[in-house]
Amino acid sequence: MSGWLRGHPWHADGLLAAALLAFSLPQVAAGAPPGAWIGAAVMQANFAVVTVVLAGTVIARRRYPVAAFAVAALIGAAQIAFGVQPGVPGPFFPLQPTNADVAILVLLYTLAAYRPRPVSIAGLMLCLVGSAVAIGRWSPAHHAYAGGAVLVAAAGMGGVTVAAWVLGDSVAHRYRRAYYEVVEARAAQMEAERDAQARIAAAAERARELQEKRARAVDHSAARLRQIERDLHDGAQVRLAALAMVLGEVRENLEHADDGADGDGHLRKLMGAAHRNAVETLAELRDLARGIHPPALDRGLAPALGSLADTVSIPVEVTVRAGERPSAAIETIAYFCAAELLANITKHSGATRAAICISDGDGRMLMRVTDNGGGGARLAPGGGLEGLRERVQTVDGHLGIDSPAGGPTAITISLPGHA
Amino acid sequence: MPPRLRLVIAEDAAIMRDGLTQTLTRRGLDVVAAAGDAESLHRAVTAHDPDVAIIDVRMPPTFTDEGLRAALSVRRDHPGVGVLVFSQYIETRSAAELFAGASGGVGYLLKDRVAYVSDFIDAIAQVAGGGTVLDPEVVRHLLSAGRRADALAVLSPREREVLSLLAEGRSNIAIAGAFTISPRVVEKHVASIFAKLGLAPSDNDNRRVLAAIKYLES
Repeated sequence: MSGWLRGHPWHADGLLAAALLAFSLPQVAAGAPPGAWIGAAVMQANFAVVTVVLAGTVIARRRYPVAAFAVAALIGAAQIAFGVQPGVPGPFFPLQPTNADVAILVLLYTLAAYRPRPVSIAGLMLCLVGSAVAIGRWSPAHHAYAGGAVLVAAAGMGGVTVAAWVLGDSVAHRYRRAYYEVVEARAAQMEAERDAQARIAAAAERARELQEKRARAVDHSAARLRQIERDLHDGAQVRLAALAMVLGEVRENLEHADDGADGDGHLRKLMGAAHRNAVETLAELRDLARGIHPPALDRGLAPALGSLADTVSIPVEVTVRAGERPSAAIETIAYFCAAELLANITKHSGATRAAICISDGDGRMLMRVTDNGGGGARLAPGGGLEGLRERVQTVDGHLGIDSPAGGPTAITISLPGHA
Repeated sequence: MPPRLRLVIAEDAAIMRDGLTQTLTRRGLDVVAAAGDAESLHRAVTAHDPDVAIIDVRMPPTFTDEGLRAALSVRRDHPGVGVLVFSQYIETRSAAELFAGASGGVGYLLKDRVAYVSDFIDAIAQVAGGGTVLDPEVVRHLLSAGRRADALAVLSPREREVLSLLAEGRSNIAIAGAFTISPRVVEKHVASIFAKLGLAPSDNDNRRVLAAIKYLES
């Protein structure tokens, strides 16, 4: 019920106004007070108009608390000014207090509940002053117990007036507190949202930073490996080749020398061993350097993969359909993946044919390695494919396997253009 | 005694350049110039018109394939100059590029071959004489790759073996020694290879070169 009333203020106030009218009706019917100059009909019309106006202020109270109160207060003041006093000839146009004056209390309550305290205190003061004046005006000065009656009347009216204000004020206090709580909760929520957004932004910034650092680290290590290979090429490999050449020359000279120089062939054997060692070391060093950074990559992925394909025992078709060249680090990863996959194919698949196709897709490089072997390739912990997947994942790459039993097999590797 | 072979060497590493120069000179070849980069190689070739230019694949400034580019342009601008490219690594695609359209006087060797001085000098002489020299390592790579089998399927296994040695630039006598068969049998095989590969009878050396190129490009 109270919920319905709160939900429909106009209905609630309408009911209140109707009750007020009903409460005042007997007075309207009662007619003119004694001592009035005018007729009962005029008096009843006065009552009716005042009662209806007061009821109206009650209906409007929530929307216009101050205006409604002002109208009601003006009516109260008029009643004091033009009311008919007992035993005294009434004014020309009498305006008697009515039961509907309860509306003034309702409006004071409304003022206290819906308007700031200074406004409602002013209203309260006005009501108290009005009450005092009214009591003074209607107390028969000649009455023997006038003093006691006045006190009772003052206490009654004052008490009711103050009670209306206090009631309204306490409701306002409750409303204010509830309002502040809502505002505070909203502020706290907004602060929390702002904090969350700041944290998200910080995390995104951090992620970008880490990505940049990773790209730098990947590029740096690729450049470093390339440099190591070059240093080997320009240093140890060249020196060793020059050494092997000299050893080869000495060896040939010894072979052609007459036996007097090397009676039992001891020197020749030693020289042969030294020469062989140098040549084998040269080959090992070359394999090592090539494993660090395949120099063919310096000319691009296409020729490097082509030369790689020529080392495999089955025909491998190499197609490179790519626009912009990816970074050196990405090309290196792609090359080593292709080498590993081709090795797997020749070792395990039983394929008689394979293909490497490189294409561009959405700023990424796609490498598809296919064979017509027996299929059944899958990720296994510690396996070659798992190792490749981990390797491409370090630069946000992906590895997909399509290898049904019976074949054919397609391994798809997607790599970003840059680490 | 044939006239001394005149050589230009292009190699950026001083120790190798000097070592080669000294060794080859000791063995009676005439190293007329030794260059450290492609540009001085061109100048030396233009100035000296050598029999053979020996060129390292990797040279400044980028150390990728400047040597190969230089070899191709020497071959284009000076058809009479033999070109012997040597490389730290075997790149079959580089070799194919070098041999594409060549009619002889071309060689591609792994750098390690300098350790076998006499073989290396033989290779230089082959190139100087308009022959082709292909590193056995390249031959091995190409032989192991299945696509050779497709293109050269018409040849018998023994003929393929003979062809691989022929591509390395070996003579009939050397091939006979390698397989311990008589030179006459080698001659039969070689003739059969020429016939099967559709190489018209002409000067024998040129057909050997063409067979080697066909082998490489197949």
